[in-house]
Amino acid sequence: MRDLFFRFCRKTKSLKGLTTIILLCSIANSMAQSKISGTVTDDKGLTLPAVTVVVKGSNSSVVTDMDGKYQIIANSDATLVFSFIGFATKEIQVNGKNTIDVKLSENVEGLKEVVVIGYGSQKKSDVNSAISSIKSEDIKDLKQVSFDQMLQGKVAGVTVNNGSGQPGAAANVRVRGTTSISGTNEPLYIIDGVPVSGDATGRATSGRPIAGNDFSSSGGTGNVAASPLSLINPNDIESIDVLKDASATAIYGSRGANGVIIVTTKSGKKGNGKIVYDGFTSVTTISKRLDVLNLREYAQYQNDLAVLFGQPIRPDFSHPELLGNGTDWQDEIYQTAIAKNHNVSFSGNSNGTNYYISGGFLDQQGNIIGSGYKRYTAKVNVDGKVKDWIKVGTSINAGVSNEDITVNQSYVGLITNTLLQAPDVPVRTLDGDYAAPPMGQNVAYFNPVAEALIKTNKLIRKNFMGNAFAEITILKGLRYRVDASANTEFSENTEFTPSYDRGSQVNLTADLTERRQNWYSTNISNVLTYDFSVNKHKFTVLAGQEANQARWEGIIANAQDFKTNDIYTLNMGNPDLTNAQSYKGSQALYSLFGRVIYDFDNRYGLSASIRQDVSSKFDPTTDNQKGYFPAFTVSWKLSNEKFMESTKQYIDNIKIRLGYGETGNQQIPNNLYSANLGAQSDSFLPSNYANPNLVWESMNQTNFGLDFTTFNNKLGVTLDLYKKVSKDFLFLVPLPDYLTGGDSFLGGISAPFSNIGEVQNTGFDLALNFDTKSSGNFNWTSNLIISKYKNQVNEIVDGLPLTQEVNTNGFLPVTVTNTLVGQPIGMFWGYKTDGLFTSVDQFDNAPAQFGQTFGSAPGQTYLGDVKYVDVNNDGIVDERDKTVIGNPHPDFTFGFTNTFRYKNFDLSVFLQGSVGNDVMNLTYRNGTSNSQLYQNALTDALNYWTVDNPNANIPRPIGALSNTNLEISDRYVEDGSYVRIQNVTLGYSLPNSLISKAKLSRVKVYASAQNLFTFTKYSGYDPEIGSLNQNVLLSGIDNGRYPSPRTFSFGLNVEF
Amino acid sequence: MVLMLFISMTLLSCSEDFTNRPSEDSILLDDYYETNAQVATATNAMYNRTWFQFHNKFFFAIGEIGSGNMMSFSSDVSAMRNFSITGSDQELLAGWRSLWANVAQANSVINFLEDRVGPQVDDEVLQNTIGEAYFMRATAYFYLVRLWGPVPIIENSLEYATNPLINTNRVEDVYELIRRDYQQAINRLYDKTRTGNYPQNAKVTKGSAKAMLAKVHLYNGNYQDARALAQEVINSGEFKLLGGAELPSKSFADLFTYANNNNEESIFSLQWKVNGVYGNASNCNTQFGISNGTISTSNASYGGVFSPSQDILSLYDSNDLRRRETIMFPGTTYPEILAKNGSNFGPLVVPPADQIGGQNAGAAIKKYCIGIVNGDITGKADTWAMMENCTYIMRYSELLLIHAEAVLAGGASTSDAAALNSFNAVRNRAGLSSLSSITFNDIFTERRKELAFEGDYWYDLGRIPRSQAIAIMSAQNRGDQNNPAYFTPEEADFILPYPSNDVAKNPKLLDPPVPYVFN
Repeated sequence: MRDLFFRFCRKTKSLKGLTTIILLCSIANSMAQSKISGTVTDDKGLTLPAVTVVVKGSNSSVVTDMDGKYQIIANSDATLVFSFIGFATKEIQVNGKNTIDVKLSENVEGLKEVVVIGYGSQKKSDVNSAISSIKSEDIKDLKQVSFDQMLQGKVAGVTVNNGSGQPGAAANVRVRGTTSISGTNEPLYIIDGVPVSGDATGRATSGRPIAGNDFSSSGGTGNVAASPLSLINPNDIESIDVLKDASATAIYGSRGANGVIIVTTKSGKKGNGKIVYDGFTSVTTISKRLDVLNLREYAQYQNDLAVLFGQPIRPDFSHPELLGNGTDWQDEIYQTAIAKNHNVSFSGNSNGTNYYISGGFLDQQGNIIGSGYKRYTAKVNVDGKVKDWIKVGTSINAGVSNEDITVNQSYVGLITNTLLQAPDVPVRTLDGDYAAPPMGQNVAYFNPVAEALIKTNKLIRKNFMGNAFAEITILKGLRYRVDASANTEFSENTEFTPSYDRGSQVNLTADLTERRQNWYSTNISNVLTYDFSVNKHKFTVLAGQEANQARWEGIIANAQDFKTNDIYTLNMGNPDLTNAQSYKGSQALYSLFGRVIYDFDNRYGLSASIRQDVSSKFDPTTDNQKGYFPAFTVSWKLSNEKFMESTKQYIDNIKIRLGYGETGNQQIPNNLYSANLGAQSDSFLPSNYANPNLVWESMNQTNFGLDFTTFNNKLGVTLDLYKKVSKDFLFLVPLPDYLTGGDSFLGGISAPFSNIGEVQNTGFDLALNFDTKSSGNFNWTSNLIISKYKNQVNEIVDGLPLTQEVNTNGFLPVTVTNTLVGQPIGMFWGYKTDGLFTSVDQFDNAPAQFGQTFGSAPGQTYLGDVKYVDVNNDGIVDERDKTVIGNPHPDFTFGFTNTFRYKNFDLSVFLQGSVGNDVMNLTYRNGTSNSQLYQNALTDALNYWTVDNPNANIPRPIGALSNTNLEISDRYVEDGSYVRIQNVTLGYSLPNSLISKAKLSRVKVYASAQNLFTFTKYSGYDPEIGSLNQNVLLSGIDNGRYPSPRTFSFGLNVEF
Repeated sequence: MVLMLFISMTLLSCSEDFTNRPSEDSILLDDYYETNAQVATATNAMYNRTWFQFHNKFFFAIGEIGSGNMMSFSSDVSAMRNFSITGSDQELLAGWRSLWANVAQANSVINFLEDRVGPQVDDEVLQNTIGEAYFMRATAYFYLVRLWGPVPIIENSLEYATNPLINTNRVEDVYELIRRDYQQAINRLYDKTRTGNYPQNAKVTKGSAKAMLAKVHLYNGNYQDARALAQEVINSGEFKLLGGAELPSKSFADLFTYANNNNEESIFSLQWKVNGVYGNASNCNTQFGISNGTISTSNASYGGVFSPSQDILSLYDSNDLRRRETIMFPGTTYPEILAKNGSNFGPLVVPPADQIGGQNAGAAIKKYCIGIVNGDITGKADTWAMMENCTYIMRYSELLLIHAEAVLAGGASTSDAAALNSFNAVRNRAGLSSLSSITFNDIFTERRKELAFEGDYWYDLGRIPRSQAIAIMSAQNRGDQNNPAYFTPEEADFILPYPSNDVAKNPKLLDPPVPYVFN
């Protein structure tokens, strides 16, 4: 779309040029004419066909041939004008020459200047709103599976966290902080005109994950949501425009509250057809190991715990010093993984038709054995003019991925299993079978190697999305455009646990779960745009209508009791034990919208828009379905004022913007306005409390922006200040269990959703761009972005505390965050601690701990126990003393990209980081719990309190998980700040003199390191935690995260 | 222009229905209860799903481990072995939630079903369903008040949806609610006689409600009403003892088999269903029994989580028929239980004490252990190896003991024929001789023997004077066969802490209880 607009602009210019030519022609006097010939090339000396060569002031013109050669008749004093799309137009005086060779430079600036806005595009200098754009070259070095991960540190105001190192896992993308609590906070993506929700959990649609179990509020069993964007090949992307403030996003109405990210893929360009190959191979490793006990240490540790727990010492551990190192489970589970990526694209223009065709293949092993990701993508973009007045085009994307998922991030997940599995258990027995703990041990942990390798958990996704448009020019300046798009995905998940017998751990009957899901969405929009100007008044008026709907259905079936592990399909199981469930649903959104963009004299700009959305999420018998979303913004290009002429040499392109807009959020599950019956084994039970009064969550945003350039345009600065207020935010009312009995899947009646409060975000986005713009051998560009938001809950009805639980122990949910009025969303919640009790005096002077008496018996407080702080000073430590113990929100995040170019070398260094956020390290809690025998521990766990070790930092061991030393407290909160050398890429382009002989236009080799080093005090695997399954109330909770890998890549880029 | 007008008109005209998207995979609550069958099945899931989390581990972790009948080192269920449970205990939360799920679902039926049923539903059917809901609510509150003491009385959950921060109510008010609810159940439930057609005995009846109410009266010290109600139940002939005088062809052993689900002795039992969804079936077979790495009585490998305490091993006389059916001792053969031994399958032979594994108790729990899946003998098991053998909440032998105790009426001893008849019927069925005079201690001990591992002893200990209970419990060996362990509970240990998660949501739970105003 951006390209189309660009082309349109060029067209108008050339029309003007033509008029001028005709006028000049009529007064031109006759001069001596001669034949002039030459070759047109680009900067690199590559010949350019189809360049238009015009004799200025005449109607005589030619185009260059396939070899970039031309011949034209012109007067000896004439001027030749060379113009070509995407290149700066050049004028050259003939001055009697007969041969004129011309070198055209790519008009990169010109391309950059156009910005995509909702349902249209604008010159960057005319944009009134906060919009950030990045181009393909800004992200091309980043070796990530999915383009949302590439936005990290690249766009001011956008915070990206990779929640998992698993290939293909969803990232959390936050445009200007967290605005919604229960609904998704992921932005709306418009990919070549196809709207795609960033919500990986499908919470607002089917509510079902496409692999694994539920995404219940507590994180369920910790499966990782698959990114809805991972089936787009990042190589196909031309530009990404991020609409941040409401004056820009309000045109998307109810879907705009979390920001809108518009992705435009590549299209063919005029000129010689182009073939591009880009491929790389990379090697990834886990960048950090945690210190756990080896077998000698473990044996001693078990002996010591056994004494403390009053249990016998294991005979096999009677001489720990004689033992070896035992099994290093981290070594066994983590592997160095190889990834291969190949992309080929063909693009060009033929007879006015632009085409871009590409194919991509990615094969990425996971760093955990048995995990991996393969993706196949294909892309076709075609557009062209059918008649003078009608242009049509289509964009089609197909993506297929095949994923081996092995891990999840819960307590029973593979990561925790790996850390805590005892080192005395071998991987395999002498017979070669997978080993299990010795009999008689009650161990919840399974051999992680066996778990990773024998279980099958495959996810196949097939996504097809496409858009077709027709644009009709009705009158000069009046265009009508219709877009029809569709997006569909078929996914298949197969989870098979074979039967096995490992002695103490057996699975007598193999289990199979098959999940099949398909959904599609369609979107039709009709937009009428009228551009006109009256003297210095320029108007763009737009009116549009859009209808969007999505349908989904899925089947989950399981079977068990298979006679063989080799072949497993549903029909092979025991028919008595085979069962199936299904689900289906649909939703719709109907919208009308309009916008006026006005510009006076290229000095004062104004835009105003309004949208009306009607959503199926709300009660159709009421007016609640309708929402109105207005926006208004003004700008002043100060530099274009006459009185600023004198300052232009110091500071230029000053623009001041002020905007206000309203958007909405309606991404909640379906049918919450009515009460439904949920199916039970042979009957029904009411499953939820209805709330027919549900209305839109609405968000008001005010934005103040300032742009300017200085140092001869070498430094560009964009600063935006904003305030976002989300009102009536939609939330599952956190009713106590005595009113609901838990969720409906537990037999309770799920609490209703309600509009229960107000949240605000204030902050700023700062982007600094520096470019030496040198024409010499050396060039340096630098880009620094800083994003800061401050989040605060202003109001919650009835003062409800919005506590959030996470599953820590199997299925044990514990409260880890709370959201209170006056505080940011999702603050860590628990007890404050003041060291350990180390003397009886301290106990006598301290508030009673949970009402316990002093003594070493269970249920009593003793020396070496955690001394919790009596926050409310009522003389006793109990539930009422829980308080805020940490903040998962960063003070600011930043990205700093530097690119150096020297001759044919280029080097880019990208740093990225987050400052001031806390992480709750539940892996540390598990690893230092000292509460169970037969499980390994972090080395830190050994420093527990005993009479002989009074200065310990870990409390005395107690042989039960239900002991007060393990309460969620500030003991588990760590500083999560980090600075990461996210990417370093060194590239070398072969000289043209060399490659042009082989008819190549570009050959570049490069080496790149991703996630090279992280500076952090955080003790866990990786400080970049994100939100568990995109749940904002579970941000910064490390519950066994799949570590992000370190990647070294070697790549080749070839253009023909 | 014409084209545009045309397009916009066609698109505008279809917008009304376009955004009306009723649910396609569930039924609207208000559109369903049209027939007798639909109303009659409205409570079906309240015999399994709503009780699942209560029964899965909590029921035994508190009622059996807390009382010293069972023992476990498994940290998820062992907190009450030494009375160290906290508000963040996972099973505490599960049990709490589950009981409230019963209250919430019962409230939905009690308050709204009458308005929702269609005209062709018979009042008798409607009333019976509402009666079942009252029964479930009363039973849930009976557990709540005995476990937590003061709890909020919620007669209509919806009323508090916008006002959830409420106080707890006094224990005596909760008991008042329980008595009223059981009385409502008695008024509405069907009267019936249990027959050999077991599937028809699955649901509670007027007699079930009377029997439960008799137990409540006993807890309140209201012996007169307890006796009268128990007598009514006995006289009705609705229930019979398996292996008693009226059913000599069966025995105590038959009570705990899958084939005898909902037998004549069952007053109220939970109806487990294997349907592939987690949370509808019983995990007892796996959690009890033997799973030592070589020998296993379950299809899953995480078995033997609960074992008998050292204290209970000596409870039974050797001639007590209940001994073999309650505890697996080394060397005993159970032909009816299919076990895995190495890679072979065959009848269970209990291995020597040091090889029973589990919690190193030297013995294992037999009750509710039915073995590896074995056709019609065991019924099926789901992915989690959970099975369909019903769990008793009350059976007729307990009603007989309630009757005897009500006749004793707090006295030192009794030789009243009514009391002796009931008491000796239970004893005789266990192969023991009749007593001619009984004391409270006789009944108390008989209750423990009869109901061991059925989740009742904790509540019995909770209703005798605390000092006596503490004396009993502190003398129990709660260790394993090699390492004796003794723990002394404090008074406060008889009342559980409220789950932390709910206290976080409503700190008023910690405030003193307030009186409840009944309508």
